[in-house]
Amino acid sequence: MKTWKRFAHIDADSVGQAADFLRRGNAALLAGGTDLLGRLRFEILPDYPEVVVNLKTVPGLDGIREEGGKLRIGALTRLEDIARSPLVRTRWAALAEAAHRTASPHIREMGTIGGNICQLNRCWYFRIPDNRFPCIRKGGKTCYAMAGDNRYHSIFGALKSCLAVNPGDTAPALVALGASIRTSRRLVEAERFWDMSVPGSTILEPDEIVTAIEIPAPPPGAKSAFLKFAIRKSIDFPIVNCAVMTGGGDVRICLNAVHNRPWRATAAEEVVRGKAIDEALADAAGAAAVAGARALPGDRNKWKIQIARTLVKRALLASA
Amino acid sequence: MSEKKKAQEPEGAAKGISRRSFLRDAGLAAAVPAVAPIALGGAAPEGETLAAQTKPGPAEDTCGGPTMVELTVNGERYRCTVEPHWSLRQLLRDEVGYTSPKDWCGGQGACASCTVIVDGRPVLSCLTLACECHGTVVETAEGIAKAKHPLVEAYIDHNAFQCGYCTPGFVCTAKALLDRNPDPTEADVRDALGGNLCRCGTYQQHPPAVIAAAKELGRDRSRS
Repeated sequence: MKTWKRFAHIDADSVGQAADFLRRGNAALLAGGTDLLGRLRFEILPDYPEVVVNLKTVPGLDGIREEGGKLRIGALTRLEDIARSPLVRTRWAALAEAAHRTASPHIREMGTIGGNICQLNRCWYFRIPDNRFPCIRKGGKTCYAMAGDNRYHSIFGALKSCLAVNPGDTAPALVALGASIRTSRRLVEAERFWDMSVPGSTILEPDEIVTAIEIPAPPPGAKSAFLKFAIRKSIDFPIVNCAVMTGGGDVRICLNAVHNRPWRATAAEEVVRGKAIDEALADAAGAAAVAGARALPGDRNKWKIQIARTLVKRALLASA
Repeated sequence: MSEKKKAQEPEGAAKGISRRSFLRDAGLAAAVPAVAPIALGGAAPEGETLAAQTKPGPAEDTCGGPTMVELTVNGERYRCTVEPHWSLRQLLRDEVGYTSPKDWCGGQGACASCTVIVDGRPVLSCLTLACECHGTVVETAEGIAKAKHPLVEAYIDHNAFQCGYCTPGFVCTAKALLDRNPDPTEADVRDALGGNLCRCGTYQQHPPAVIAAAKELGRDRSRS
């Protein structure tokens, strides 16, 4: 087994202290560790942190509670705890199901929701061990997926010339449920949280730390659902996933793993808004959701378009 | 293994015992400074037994250098010196001497053959930092076997393994499931073991084995 290169390790006692280490530079935040530690072991990025700052020792960053109808989930809450929470399962079903379908049981026991939404994008050129493809996200000049094997890549075009996808399962559920992300500096709508910068996947400043997820009470009568297509059901990253919330006078549909950030299917929302959902309408919504999708040259990822279309349809029917 | 560890090796090797059996069988007190069991079973002095029941304070600030962690592995307390970049798997295998956490996927977190139970959760010891395990209670497949957990017999009865390499990971995951859910359905078992890979393809045998162990545990409970 490859061992990690030497790094220093700090148990942070407050978010402020952790941010101080980040400001000093060359530090990495550690929560569940399932993304970061694998990434460091295989040295996928050109740089390696000198200091790993453990957030699990900061008091008060985990836990699930309802505050005035709103759901508040601490950033360090394990995905498995969210998946099992009766509160989340009954009222915010799409999030419970998304957490339950993330990765494998062991990774859910370790991984946190804060880490899940901050994970780096997925692309096998970007993620190859020992930084063998110095791609555009690593300061290089080329997107290797553009000319290479891009069967799992974006169907909604490149963002800053990068075709990698956001592989999060909880991300589309948070967007569909109208969640907000609370950080050490601000409160930002989930929909605006992801934006690719290099090498991150989010709008977070270098010293900014996610502290909690806040989700409003679903409107009366609303229902939510989450569906995922993956090669191996019990382990894998999504090929495409989809979360929807319908009823209660609103509809929100969000796909993920189809673009660099979660993809809100606004055209599909317009198709179903204010109407009773039946098979034909759900099918029309699926078609609208992928109307703007384009396979990459060579059509290797064309299959994802059909999957996205079908997932939108099935998720709408599941929540109707 | 570091130079320092190698320097300690000849002590056991000279007597023709492996480091592993030396550590495990002798249950020695202070021969290996890097791993010192501080309370063994019921034979510990009173003061140390008390210490074993209270969670120790936070580990010292580790910045850069090695740090001291105290943890309970299979019911025995250990005090170990670890480097910040060591995994729990490395600590258990190379320092404490429990070799059931295997390495198959190379530390990607993809196979679960290194699964151990930390504070009740089945986790991947390859992606857990040793220095973050201060004050934790760890169970490995050796501890589950030593406690004569019915899972062991059930796995044998149901032929739930062939080469056996992935088995410790399966058994730890199944034990954590039974601790949480004493009466799992087949779907529960499939769900819980969904992250464990087995290249011999023994998947079909695991749910009946785990359910049989759950029934045996239920009988034990009703007897006692």
